[in-house]
Amino acid sequence: MENFYNEIAELLEVDSVTGSEMLNSFVCWDSLTILSIIAHVDDNYSVTLSAAEVNDAKTIDGLKNLVVSKKS
Amino acid sequence: MGETGFNPLRLSGKKFFISGAASGIGRATCILLSKLGADLIMADINQEGLGETAKLCKSTDLTVMMDFSQSGVIKEHLSKLVPLFGKLNGCVHIAGRPYISPLKSINEKTTLEVFQINTMTALELSKTFANRTISADEGGSIVFISSVYALVGSAANVGYSMSKSALHGITKALSVELAPRHIRVNCIAPGFIKTKMGDNISHFFAEGHDDKISEMHPLGMGEPEDVANSIAFLLSDMSKWITGSIMNVDGGFTAK
Repeated sequence: MENFYNEIAELLEVDSVTGSEMLNSFVCWDSLTILSIIAHVDDNYSVTLSAAEVNDAKTIDGLKNLVVSKKS
Repeated sequence: MGETGFNPLRLSGKKFFISGAASGIGRATCILLSKLGADLIMADINQEGLGETAKLCKSTDLTVMMDFSQSGVIKEHLSKLVPLFGKLNGCVHIAGRPYISPLKSINEKTTLEVFQINTMTALELSKTFANRTISADEGGSIVFISSVYALVGSAANVGYSMSKSALHGITKALSVELAPRHIRVNCIAPGFIKTKMGDNISHFFAEGHDDKISEMHPLGMGEPEDVANSIAFLLSDMSKWITGSIMNVDGGFTAK
């Protein structure tokens, strides 16, 4: 998970992100970006997320915690 | 079948290889072909699912576990099985892997894995089948399963679409190359079918997605049997003058 912030920054089309930032505050936040996150997490962490779970995660750290919790 | 016993779809004495036989369209196809009298070699990576399919087919039909992510498995198995089973009259590549990913999250490794199963396996199957030691002397029929997403665009489907649209190129090229051998090559492009593969990717979408998909089909979503019926037609002599065709079996999805 050490590259998680960089990976999510790329999907959110920004240079960097911080844990407290709200997911829906990013310019590119839309259904395709949510799908991108689901596909990326599936490919790289073998974790299955739903669109509702990604939305409910609210923040970058919320998303990270969600992935960690489902991975363990 | 009428009182005369006339049934142009009868497949008694015909032998076919079916990939993806453990579930969905593959299982429905095996059941139908078996009922029509064909002898089958049914392949899939899912041994348990294969066993379930076998229970619904004739006891003489064979099952074989194959991992289509590995190249060479079809030739390896068929070169051993066919001398015992008899030469094949046709083959159907139904095994497939979905891949939902927008462009920015597309992963080269996964894309190539999808391409291997959906596309390269079709090519390997064709090459193996076309060999005179495998296919019946009178020729035969090869059927691929692509998708409406090989015909029309869809966001987040580029990896899957490229794997399926490549099947259309293979269909056209091989239909010409293999015509002198009386081997016909056709492809079915199904719309959305209610299958386990569809259920497995439903988590990608928000609630209400299934209803939206259903509305895209004037005849509603399809059943695995709808595609199986078309496969039986393309394997039978009823389609003996059809080759190189892409058959839309999609409840009207691409008519709109």
